[in-house]
Amino acid sequence: MSYYSSTTYARRRTGMTRGYNSVAFTSSVKLGPVTHTVLVALMITVLGLIYLTQATKATSYDYEAQKIETKIAELSTEKTDLEVENARLTALDSVRNSSVARAMTSPGAPQHVSQ
Amino acid sequence: MLIIASVFLMAVFVVRLFYLQVIEHSKYSILADAEQVKRLTIPATRGEIYMEDNGTPVKVVLNETVYTMFVDPKIITDPEAVKDVIREVAGGNTVDGFAKLVDKKDTRYQVVAKNVTRRQAELIKKKELAGIGFQAVVRRVYPEGTLAAQTLGFVNYDQKGQYGIEGRFDKQLRGKDGMLQSVTDVSNVPLTIGNRNVNIPAQNGANIVLTLDRNVQAYTEKALSDGLRKIGATDGSVIVMDPNDGSVLAMANFPTYNPSKFAKVTNANAFNNAVVSDPYEPGSVVKTFTVATGINTNTITPQSTYVNTDYITIDDRTITNATKGQTGTISIQHALTWSLNTGMVTVAQRLGGGTINRQARNTMYSYFHDRFHLGQMTGIETTGEVPGELIPPTAVEGNAVRYSNMSFGQGMNPTMIQVAAGFSSLINGGTYYYPTIIKGNLNDDGDIVPAKQKKPQENVINASTSATMRTMILKARREFYAGNDRKGYDIGGKTGTSQDIVNGEYTFDETTGTYIGFGGDTKPKYVIMVRVSSKGRALNGGDHALPIFTDISNWMIDYLKLQPKG
Repeated sequence: MSYYSSTTYARRRTGMTRGYNSVAFTSSVKLGPVTHTVLVALMITVLGLIYLTQATKATSYDYEAQKIETKIAELSTEKTDLEVENARLTALDSVRNSSVARAMTSPGAPQHVSQ
Repeated sequence: MLIIASVFLMAVFVVRLFYLQVIEHSKYSILADAEQVKRLTIPATRGEIYMEDNGTPVKVVLNETVYTMFVDPKIITDPEAVKDVIREVAGGNTVDGFAKLVDKKDTRYQVVAKNVTRRQAELIKKKELAGIGFQAVVRRVYPEGTLAAQTLGFVNYDQKGQYGIEGRFDKQLRGKDGMLQSVTDVSNVPLTIGNRNVNIPAQNGANIVLTLDRNVQAYTEKALSDGLRKIGATDGSVIVMDPNDGSVLAMANFPTYNPSKFAKVTNANAFNNAVVSDPYEPGSVVKTFTVATGINTNTITPQSTYVNTDYITIDDRTITNATKGQTGTISIQHALTWSLNTGMVTVAQRLGGGTINRQARNTMYSYFHDRFHLGQMTGIETTGEVPGELIPPTAVEGNAVRYSNMSFGQGMNPTMIQVAAGFSSLINGGTYYYPTIIKGNLNDDGDIVPAKQKKPQENVINASTSATMRTMILKARREFYAGNDRKGYDIGGKTGTSQDIVNGEYTFDETTGTYIGFGGDTKPKYVIMVRVSSKGRALNGGDHALPIFTDISNWMIDYLKLQPKG
């Protein structure tokens, strides 16, 4: 790669003003239309891949979220089941017929003390 | 040449792509959406129902997820293993002849068990047998069995609330389903791709807290059941109220049913809450209303006297006393204590200056209907309430004979809830509280958001009239019926016996017994009304309804921890 010093100088000369410097670089490689097309296609492909990567990443979070949702639903169902079980065990009939209740004796009439 | 061919080929592709992506965009977009975008319903959870238990809300109606177990006989590889595991784990839930269903190789779907629990389902899944599937179903659970069945109601197979709170508040309990619209993968997992995703969360149903106290309700049902069994009666109802705010503490009815097994009910009457839906002639308990009307209008006092001859003539009708012999000059208190019809007709006559004229009838109607709210809906928050009937004096039937009968509780058809609420206003200082069974809603923090209550109607009678009525009703009970009462408490009440109509005519062979009363220490803390009846049986208030009142009253004194006087 080399510099087109003459052009640079010429531009320096024409555009030279106090306190102002400018440099221009020009590639010595000349690209044809096919190369340009391929490069553009490659760039689009890369962009597409980047998009796909991001989308896939987002989707992987969706699966994580779904797993968590499922877990929440399971725990919620389990909690509900336990509440139902608790309600059944503490229902008045269950308590009345429990072995503890059966072992109890009837209380006598309460005595009240007036002050 | 090659370049031309390439350009041509590319042009074909471009044209085709343009056609598919631009011209046919809408069509393929719709097809793609139909394939990828799923609309899922997020079901709302039905609200739960709570009762009070010494001031703490306890769940009496809940939801439970159970599973319907099905098989695909065509893909079952080991039918015997499938049958064994079903028998072993879900034996009590199988449908009749499930083993034969498993063998139906020419079918793809057979339900083999219902109401399988989550634990059972998990145990079966662990066996990893091909051809078994589960479908989740949410069902309503009533862990207290028959407790307050008519008040709670039930949820039918279409998930619709029927009767009671379930029916009346079906919409609020049901909540609102949410919606999830999203692109999904083949496993129906929602993905965050696209810009048309919609997520509307479900609004779960309201959790309702009732004023009913679980313990009072349970004891009331037991007392009613025991009382009916002792007298051999088939039908009965009881309401227990707090007279100081109108909240209903218990409503019991027999016959009854278990809301979990509503489909097994053969007698449809079991669904009805007779306390609010079955108007009847309450009989002599209405004498307390007549006396209160007379006292509050300064027409009579408890000591006012009249000459009792055991009968009295109104127009072409002669009205007699059920209890005879208390003849001569007697007081209104005596007439109330002995439940003499002539005394009440005399009060009605005095309201009109001596006859049951329009003035008397207007006054009675104004008190009975406008102040004590008899013959009109109370607004109690349950299904099936009816207004009953109270004939106004403007109607042809609202004549003197009608109003003479009404003075002792016949010729009118209020419901028990109307009588109990009106009676509460007689003994609580003179304020009519609209009866209610809704305490409020339980929010997510576990706090009760109080329900908005109707404004009470104050001064339906003066406080002094109310105090006089308390004393009169206490005396009426103490004269004959206080033998089994707990000592040291103010317990008053009034009997009522009314003839039933059989084949279009009143008969003494079939009567309904009623008792209404209150109890408390320094002031009334509860009002209890009992009604008993049975086909072909002559039941009365004193012998048949009163013992049930006494049983509940004595229990309430302990439960409310009331201190005795003296």
